[in-house]
Amino acid sequence: MLVTWKYRLRDTFIQRLDPRTRLIFMLSIIFAITIPDIWDYRVILPLFLLALTLYLMAQIAWKDVKRIWMFIAFLVFFIVGLNGLLSGRGGPSSVTDMVSPILFYIPIKIPFTDIGWDVPITVAKLWFSLTQMTRMITMTILALPIPYTIDPNMYGTAFKRMGASDNVSFTMDLAFRFLPTFARDLVITMDAQRARGYEMDKLNGGLAARIRKLAPLIIPVVMQSTVTGEEVIDAMDLRAFGTAPRTWLKELHYQRRDYLMLAFGVTIFIVCCVLKWGFGIGDFLVPDFFTNLFV
Amino acid sequence: MNDKSTWEFGTRQVVYGAIGAALYGVFSWATNIFPLPAAGNVTFRPAVAVLIFFASAYGPLVGLLAGFIGNTLGDALSGWGFYWNWSLGSGLMGLVAGLVMASIKDFRARGDIIKAVGYGIAGIAVGMLFASVTEKFIGGLDWNTALIGYFTPAFIGNTVVVVILLPVLMIAFAAVASRRGR
Repeated sequence: MLVTWKYRLRDTFIQRLDPRTRLIFMLSIIFAITIPDIWDYRVILPLFLLALTLYLMAQIAWKDVKRIWMFIAFLVFFIVGLNGLLSGRGGPSSVTDMVSPILFYIPIKIPFTDIGWDVPITVAKLWFSLTQMTRMITMTILALPIPYTIDPNMYGTAFKRMGASDNVSFTMDLAFRFLPTFARDLVITMDAQRARGYEMDKLNGGLAARIRKLAPLIIPVVMQSTVTGEEVIDAMDLRAFGTAPRTWLKELHYQRRDYLMLAFGVTIFIVCCVLKWGFGIGDFLVPDFFTNLFV
Repeated sequence: MNDKSTWEFGTRQVVYGAIGAALYGVFSWATNIFPLPAAGNVTFRPAVAVLIFFASAYGPLVGLLAGFIGNTLGDALSGWGFYWNWSLGSGLMGLVAGLVMASIKDFRARGDIIKAVGYGIAGIAVGMLFASVTEKFIGGLDWNTALIGYFTPAFIGNTVVVVILLPVLMIAFAAVASRRGR
């Protein structure tokens, strides 16, 4: 069991962007959708296509993300989509308020009782469910490529250059450096405990007993890390950490493409706000072509 | 065991914030590989007990950093992406749990352990509520889905882990700290 970063160096436009640009652009799109509370498919669909294009440009192999996508699909389709379809709630109240043709009823019953009711599935609820899933997937595919495309060694520098203090940025940098060491400690501890007869694959007993049986694995690693911490503190104090502003080994410089992407992200945010608050575009609506499919 | 100045942010907090984050990341990743069987969509993350322990032992700022960075690390290692609201939720979980630091006199004492567990549970409630409620606004979920689908499983799973593992970690830490003499 080796700790391996998902990050791989790929010669793509996405990876040539400054990490700060990537994070700020992602937040711009998320805020463009959420702050003006956009539910109009005419705005969401172009943003989805943009996010999808950027995701495909990142050139992440399917085998790397297959498992993650299965989890996301379950969450989006079964928890969010199905709930939207049944209740129509979570978005604007117009979904449940508007008069919309009923497609069919889903009977819901409380188990072991006769209490139940028929939930009407309307065209509006179906469209809302599709819109909600598209909205979520848009934001997900912006966030998903981050660990695959940003060098882990750049997080600390990126946060520093985005305005975080030296201490916060150094904590982040140090955490990324500690990680392989603790993962190795975990593997060594696991092997040592197995040699003593500890069987991780056979955690028997009730729930509490099973969690408690993880202690032989967790305690040695955590306690060793607290001892390591004291040594690191001594070393850092001896080098006068925190007495003056730090310099950083890796430098980040915005390029022309970064300014363009940042301007693009900020423009999208402004346009969404102006559309919603200036022109009243962005509220939930069911397109006629969709309604006509069912009537 | 600690200097009891709750909001100090010096070398000690930087180092233990980083260690807490790295451990939180490693254990989150490890339990993704070996998931603990549970009911429904309740998952048990022993990493949360480690986060609450670091917060209790080293303070709220360590908890905040370890939670925020650790969750980011765990997601990065597992390839989930970067979800700022869940990372911030984990940070808040550590921040609130860390408020107990100044009142802990003896990591072996039953009263102090109960206090730490109590603050830990409060931290879980605040952190997971923040993440679930922001998910409502970001993802456009309704209150039912946000509270029952997201908050409740996260709260139950994390609370069970903290109630069971935090006392063990605290007692072990008391022994290590007394041997080390600081």
